[in-house]
Amino acid sequence: MNHQSKWFSEIIKHFILILGAVVVILPFYLMLSFSFKSPSEIQSISGGFFGSQELMLDRRCVKEGKPEEECTMLPIVYNYKAAFEEAPLLRYLLNGVIVTVSIFAIQILIALPCAYALAKLNFLGKNIVFGMVIFCLLIPVHAIALPLYLMLAKLGLTNTYAALVIPWTISVFGIFLMRQFFMTVPDDLINAARMDGMSEFSIIWKVMLPTAIPALLAFAIFSVVAHWNDYYWPRIVITGDRDLMTPPLGLRMFKSDMDGNEYGPMMAAATIIVTPLVVAFLLAQRRFIEGITLTGMK
Amino acid sequence: MSKFRSHFWFVVPAVLLMIVILIVPIFVAGIFSFTDYNLGSPDFRWIGWKNYEALTKYSSYKKMFSASLTYVVIVVPFSVLLGLGAALLISSLRFGGEIYKTVFFLPVMATLLAMAIAWEFTLDPIVGLVNKLLSEGCNTNWFYQLITGSWLGFNPAENWYGNACADRMPNWLGNKKYALGAISFIGVWQAFGFNMVLYLAGLTSIPRDLYKAAEMDGAKSSWERFKLVTWPMLGPTHVFVITITSIRSFQVFDTVEALTRGGPSKSTYMMVYAMFEKGVKQNLVGIGSSLTIIFLLFVLVLTLTQVYFVNRRVHYS
Repeated sequence: MNHQSKWFSEIIKHFILILGAVVVILPFYLMLSFSFKSPSEIQSISGGFFGSQELMLDRRCVKEGKPEEECTMLPIVYNYKAAFEEAPLLRYLLNGVIVTVSIFAIQILIALPCAYALAKLNFLGKNIVFGMVIFCLLIPVHAIALPLYLMLAKLGLTNTYAALVIPWTISVFGIFLMRQFFMTVPDDLINAARMDGMSEFSIIWKVMLPTAIPALLAFAIFSVVAHWNDYYWPRIVITGDRDLMTPPLGLRMFKSDMDGNEYGPMMAAATIIVTPLVVAFLLAQRRFIEGITLTGMK
Repeated sequence: MSKFRSHFWFVVPAVLLMIVILIVPIFVAGIFSFTDYNLGSPDFRWIGWKNYEALTKYSSYKKMFSASLTYVVIVVPFSVLLGLGAALLISSLRFGGEIYKTVFFLPVMATLLAMAIAWEFTLDPIVGLVNKLLSEGCNTNWFYQLITGSWLGFNPAENWYGNACADRMPNWLGNKKYALGAISFIGVWQAFGFNMVLYLAGLTSIPRDLYKAAEMDGAKSSWERFKLVTWPMLGPTHVFVITITSIRSFQVFDTVEALTRGGPSKSTYMMVYAMFEKGVKQNLVGIGSSLTIIFLLFVLVLTLTQVYFVNRRVHYS
């Protein structure tokens, strides 16, 4: 191929990819744009991306009997203010952090010792335990949701943090992943630690854990992204108690409470929920892609 | 002896949790699928295969199976081919590949529920950008001709776009003719970036020498080299990507629950949503459990197919 046609094909490729990128970005564009604009601009599809940012009157604020000048504000301020005040968005975000962090911490606490034992120790029934792990890898979470919900309901645990966390405390995938990683750690390292008088327990946390940081980080990303974004399970076990809702569930309630025209505040809330992970992703792309494609193995 | 005890405590918590959280529920679902149990009533009756018979008898479940299968049949090929196409284009670029990779991966990362609502507004008949652009396209000659196919001699009046221009743009999520298509579109939008990343990884593992060898063997055009080297060498990736995407599409829930609730007239009534609606919302545990078991079987068949193909590859290579 000559020089000219190479450049021509490069341009064609960029053209196709840009077209695809426009479609991919479209909902993100709309979400941000709606979160900036006033209701009238949204209704008439005008004002471009950022809107004209003309001062607007917050009717709800006037109804509460506050003076008009206090209730006049930029549409962008109105939208984000409403997102935090109408829906207890801060509470949802806090719940999201509590749930994802506790899930990850417990997963590690349970999976790491088991993975270590499977990789480096000999004990009766080792093969049976590993067989169980492999078998459990085949079980899709959606298939155990209903019976788990029934079990939790029988125990009176629906509408608690426990219900949000318990089903995810065991990550067979985490065990499998860490076992594969631990297999590559040289035995000499462990034997040296044993010679130094370390107990098996402290070997896990002081010797194995530090060597496993890359695998652990990938698993952390996988776990946090999955549970921050999860909507199915919270939707089942949290029924009505707003103080326990996770961000996606809170947004969903916000949507069904709205009279249907509060596009701006709703998209402001959506923007705030989506932003943390997207920013983290942009900062550490390679790690994120690694971590999330791990799900492929599941 | 103390050594044995420490091993014991490393493994026991995980084993207990596996049994209680993952294995017991499957048996619970299996047992309840033969009963008329519901939460709140003190006991239940064994009703044999009645729940399963109900799944084959009532039209709403027939619609459910057909909607689920249609969704999978749309989302899998589109998201796999788009993922492969994007990966091929990006890996052959001289510059800028990383940017597209980042953009296409965004939907995989972003909270699906939030993005589903954003899509709902984008596809909204009143405030939506899509219909606004489409109705402006009616007055743009080349666009109108392209979409209606009138430049190929088709009659615009027999075409959805021609009719939409004459009347009004469709309500994508509210019309039973389009709703499943719209939900599938969101599914493809979300999934193809994931497949792209897997294909990019597959592409980098193909040895460069093979392309040179193919060229010497007379594969002059890049299409021939693709057929001869790239496509077959991606074999394991194909198996992997296709099964993963099928399993994930079977699990679609967020978009259905937030945007259509299975409607209009059950056109988007898909399995996991039906499980939730029957088993949790309507407290029909028996039916919900039988749906769970059927769902589990579908997923197991897909997973075992994957294992079979992967193993066969390993033996022959």
